[in-house]
Amino acid sequence: MSGEVAPPLGEAEQREIEAFVFREARLADTSQYGEWEALVTDDMHYWVPAGPAVGDPAAGLSYINDNRARLATRIRQLQTGKRHAQTPASPMCRAVTNVEAHRAEGGAGSDGAGDEYVVTATQVVYELAVQSTARLQLWPGRVTYRLRRVDGVLRMAAKTVELVTASEPQPNLTFLL
Amino acid sequence: MTAYHELVGADRVHGSLYGDPGVFAEEMRQIFTRGWVFVGHESEVAEPGQWVTRRIGREPMILVRDRSGGLNVLANRCSHRGTALCWEHRGRDTSFQCTYHAWNFGLDGALRAVPYPAGFEKDHAELGLDRARQVESYRGFVFANLDGSAGPLSGHLGVGGTDMIDRLCDLSPSGSIALGPNWLGHAVGSNWKMWPESDNDGYHLNWVHASMVSSAPDTYYQETVLGGETGNQSLAVDWGDGHVELDFRPSYRRELAWLGASRDKVPGYCTALEQARGVQAAGRLLWDGPPHGLIFPNLFLGELNIAIIEPVAPDRMVHWHTAVQFEGVDESFNRRLLRQSEAAMGPAAFIVPDDAVTAERMQLAMSGVGVDDAEAEVRRGWVDMSRGLGREERRDDGRRAALISDETTNRGFWRQYRTVMAR
Ligand code: FES
Ligand SMILES: [Fe+2]
Repeated sequence: MSGEVAPPLGEAEQREIEAFVFREARLADTSQYGEWEALVTDDMHYWVPAGPAVGDPAAGLSYINDNRARLATRIRQLQTGKRHAQTPASPMCRAVTNVEAHRAEGGAGSDGAGDEYVVTATQVVYELAVQSTARLQLWPGRVTYRLRRVDGVLRMAAKTVELVTASEPQPNLTFLL
Repeated sequence: MTAYHELVGADRVHGSLYGDPGVFAEEMRQIFTRGWVFVGHESEVAEPGQWVTRRIGREPMILVRDRSGGLNVLANRCSHRGTALCWEHRGRDTSFQCTYHAWNFGLDGALRAVPYPAGFEKDHAELGLDRARQVESYRGFVFANLDGSAGPLSGHLGVGGTDMIDRLCDLSPSGSIALGPNWLGHAVGSNWKMWPESDNDGYHLNWVHASMVSSAPDTYYQETVLGGETGNQSLAVDWGDGHVELDFRPSYRRELAWLGASRDKVPGYCTALEQARGVQAAGRLLWDGPPHGLIFPNLFLGELNIAIIEPVAPDRMVHWHTAVQFEGVDESFNRRLLRQSEAAMGPAAFIVPDDAVTAERMQLAMSGVGVDDAEAEVRRGWVDMSRGLGREERRDDGRRAALISDETTNRGFWRQYRTVMAR
């Protein structure tokens, strides 16, 4: 932002962003894949790196590194009803806290089209692996969203989840994190 | 000692072998201490001082290149009082210094210095790090044998292991592959032996991977593994010595089918391969593609992925994988391989998580079966592995082969298991 401080977010804007994040979390928790997918933009990037989210995601191997087409495949696969690793879907609930929102660099700085926000939050997903081991699995991590206003409503253009456990082996991660 | 010659039959295996703690302990000795085990690739430790941590069985080890370029596989355990020397996955150092009392070890494992030396009467030469007694590499693939009793690596790899590694490396214009920049670990609540099985099982794809097949329509699987019992020509192969393969070559109907591409998509690679091997040999390689097979006991060559099968406990394992990278090709080609690897392998991919949940379901179902049940009055807990036994053929090259959906690969793994466990 080289010197210029972006105008702070208004109260209503902040609330709208939080409402979006909580809704996204609820749809993921309840495996409402179609409704969740409706939240994303055409250039969505969904990234779960195997370490800190630094550098070019294309340069290494990530747990998840979905462009929009691959994310569509992921959701199609879940919707077949034959994705054994998520059949039945894991019961989950997630706590999303510490939500901080900023206007993205290059955003218009008003409520007009093209507004983008960078939102960071802390998330802990509690997941029961009912498909096999029936173990309760914890997925703590830091989430960074890139939200964009499209035709007046917020959409998700990127979601990055930096798992606290990213450097260690992970159990099946086939639900929406 | 468990009666392995009884628990492993020609066409069946007893379920207790997947969960019994005594069996697991004996495997760590008979297979992972006395035999050759894959530990890593030379490209991971290209420079002196570079190291990576690995397990051989349950023993934590360090694969490190020393100053003279030699490869060492050292116990990650200070010879003083047993503190781990490395606790990250990889690094580069000029020596290993223990954090407890600062003993210092060379990259070859020799004890170089101790603080306050006057109190010690032992010779430093007696106090080097424990090490794998044999370390050998073949075309960059590094293997180790902890107790030194396993004979030369060439004897272990045999015809099949050598052939599979050759076919993979020959696809790289330089003749050597490198590994992707990182490994991903997939933690599975199953015994390790579900993975030599499922990674090389040609019978399950229609069912376990039904969701992938229907959501990402791709002719590759249609041509190579699906299409009915006798509808395709791919082979389930037992090379002997526990090395097994699903050989897709007879099914390929075009060049580069294994890459999901055609020449015009990857012209730089094709040209580089032709320059390195000649037009005719390159053409053959572009048809045949990489192998899909197991090098006993823990190395899975998954076409353009490399996986390590790591036992953790009778009911836990880690399936580690990384992508193959070729040398002498443009970066975009190698990135294509990274993206394909992300789609296929690991905890969030489109394929392997469904194998993982299946392996966990097997583990659950067999958890109540004990060794004694095998011969009890009412016998329980046997699993069948007989499919296609009667139609296996011995080929001139020594391979035992049958239809892709036959359990020849699984039987091949278990035959070697029985041999080494009962020795
Ligand atoms: S335990 Fe390593 S120096 Fe004492
Ligand atoms: Fe599979």
